[in-house]
Amino acid sequence: MKFNWFHLMPYRWLPDNFRERYHGVWVDLPNALYDPERGHTLYNEYLDMLEYADQLGYDAVGVNEHHQNGYGMMPSPNLMAAALARRTSKAMILVLGNSIALYNPPTRVAEEFAMLDVISGGRLIAGFPVGTPMDVNYCYGQNPATLREKYREAHDLIIKAWAEREPFAWNGKYTKLRYVNLWPQPIQKPHPPVWIPGLGSIETWDFCAERGYNYSYLSFTGYKRAKKVVDGYWERMAALGKEANPYSCAFFQQICISDTDAACEREWWPHVDYFFNRCLHLYPGMTAPPGYMTEASIRAGVAAQAGNTSMNLGTNKSWKELVEGGYIIAGSPATIRQQVEELAHSLRCGHLGLGLHMGSAPIELTNRSTYLFATEVMPHLRSLWSEWEDHWWPKALPEARREKPGSHNAAVKAQVERPMEVTA
Amino acid sequence: MNTPRSQILNLGANRPSVEVLEAGEGAPLLFLHGAGGIAAWEGALPLLSANYHVYAPLLPGFGQSTGLQYLEDQFDLFLHGFDVMEALGLERPFVVGESLGGWMAAEMAALRPKEIGRLALAAPVGLWRDEAPVVDLFGKMVHELIPYLFHNQSCPAAQRMMMLTMLFSDKDDRTQEQVEILIAMSRGFRTAAKFLFPIPEHGLEHRLWRIAAPTLVVWGEQDRFVSPIYAEIFREKIPNAEVVKIPGTGHLIGLESPEPYAEALLRWERDQH
Repeated sequence: MKFNWFHLMPYRWLPDNFRERYHGVWVDLPNALYDPERGHTLYNEYLDMLEYADQLGYDAVGVNEHHQNGYGMMPSPNLMAAALARRTSKAMILVLGNSIALYNPPTRVAEEFAMLDVISGGRLIAGFPVGTPMDVNYCYGQNPATLREKYREAHDLIIKAWAEREPFAWNGKYTKLRYVNLWPQPIQKPHPPVWIPGLGSIETWDFCAERGYNYSYLSFTGYKRAKKVVDGYWERMAALGKEANPYSCAFFQQICISDTDAACEREWWPHVDYFFNRCLHLYPGMTAPPGYMTEASIRAGVAAQAGNTSMNLGTNKSWKELVEGGYIIAGSPATIRQQVEELAHSLRCGHLGLGLHMGSAPIELTNRSTYLFATEVMPHLRSLWSEWEDHWWPKALPEARREKPGSHNAAVKAQVERPMEVTA
Repeated sequence: MNTPRSQILNLGANRPSVEVLEAGEGAPLLFLHGAGGIAAWEGALPLLSANYHVYAPLLPGFGQSTGLQYLEDQFDLFLHGFDVMEALGLERPFVVGESLGGWMAAEMAALRPKEIGRLALAAPVGLWRDEAPVVDLFGKMVHELIPYLFHNQSCPAAQRMMMLTMLFSDKDDRTQEQVEILIAMSRGFRTAAKFLFPIPEHGLEHRLWRIAAPTLVVWGEQDRFVSPIYAEIFREKIPNAEVVKIPGTGHLIGLESPEPYAEALLRWERDQH
């Protein structure tokens, strides 16, 4: 099993009266609430957390894309990934991902992902989300009725741009390019592994199966509530005749670790509360623009009568309710170990995305969690699914062939900094 | 009250299939509905069909009309309007369009000026001024739209709409019939979004000078959805246009003030002869 340390990078300084004062955390939240100097600290602190995860042996460090919000401060995850490419050396870099329908032309994503793959020595995992309605429709103005068609076209163009070795013309409906000729090319051939984040639509499962992509179920409502959706995924894979390889599936889970179960609530509750009640304070008028969901998905969602609407994200819940409902896994390393194992077997997922930072958590708490998980939990669960091959993992250059940042300066330092030759 | 007949127009392979509601006798009147479709033959529709032969085609996604995928952009939409007119055998009809339908009617009249006899635009979208942004139809909870759509929120039409919005709550206790209503509404909104999202403006203003049809622009004085300031722009830019403002009325003029609205259309149309 693999463990991917994933950061959402929330803004940690939303005011206490946030829920009462503002209708949502996204799209039209006044940016007067953002203090760039605090932002400077946060970016650097958050990157430190990711670098620490690399040092402790997590399999990947992850970032993602969101716009105009206090929930995740990465309008460009590629900038974060570029910083990580230089400051990490072992972990893979999971960009989950770029909302490819937003880029004009989409070859921009092919270029930047290729750059990241080349800089990092082939450590990139390329995520292609459709993107949330808040991001793609309300912030970036994409038409919800045509978004998925545009997304598919962007995907096809990017994959072709990575594969072709001769310039080609692309006459699409949304993008027309006379010359597509990608420089640079990614190190990984034919291209970096592609992961598709989704929320349980059958169309996305079929797309992943058909293309051989990893399906990443990104839910904030935890593994217990995810069971129904992920079971649906495996049933669909079986129906399509695909092997039930656990590594084809990734799941994101928020986890809080302290030395003891009792300490956990005391230490983490304020930050968990901040996450569920400020970061996930979504205005319902901007979560479901007409056409964003296919009619089949609406019908499934409405008819399932499972309380599984997009609004049911764990707001206004107590610590006990969140823990018992599996929204978060919280407690001592022993508790975490037992529940993560239960999660893995229950969902049959080979890739666990770890939300080890939550809401307003400071670095001392987060890094302690990162440390305890790496030393007390990971070693016990490593061998899970070892009988399966992970086809969705980067084929990076061997470590010996990867560049060490700064090594070129070091190699020539003495020569460069020699005394001036004095001419007579 | 006269009830409409419903027929399905099959426009051919790989083209939309269109439900047309039809009622009344007399000169043809082509009615182009707004983003809410035609939920019932109510408001101004029965009043108009007492004087005209009203044809009310439904856009793909509304009622039994299908084939939105064949209308790829707004010009497909306008040409689709002409296809329907032709299939119905209407020559230079009186075209009445409300909101989304008003935009479509104005664009059609600018595109093929000789084919539209008369034009009435009821609070059409299609223009944009930064100082009076058209309300975001797609960025609000449905019940929150009601104060923007009606001046008098206790009028029967506003009350009925409020009842409908209950279906959009996140409670999962809907009956199968309610689920179907909800899905049907989502389908219609999807069509509206395809042409209006995120800003309902696609260059109509610089085409308005082409409109040859005598035009009546009708606006609710208290329209909070599309500001009445746009009425003046339509009057200024369309060569032969008059404006009538209906007092005590919001955006959905036909539902909130059907009598004064229908009377204004009839009086204006009579005066044209």
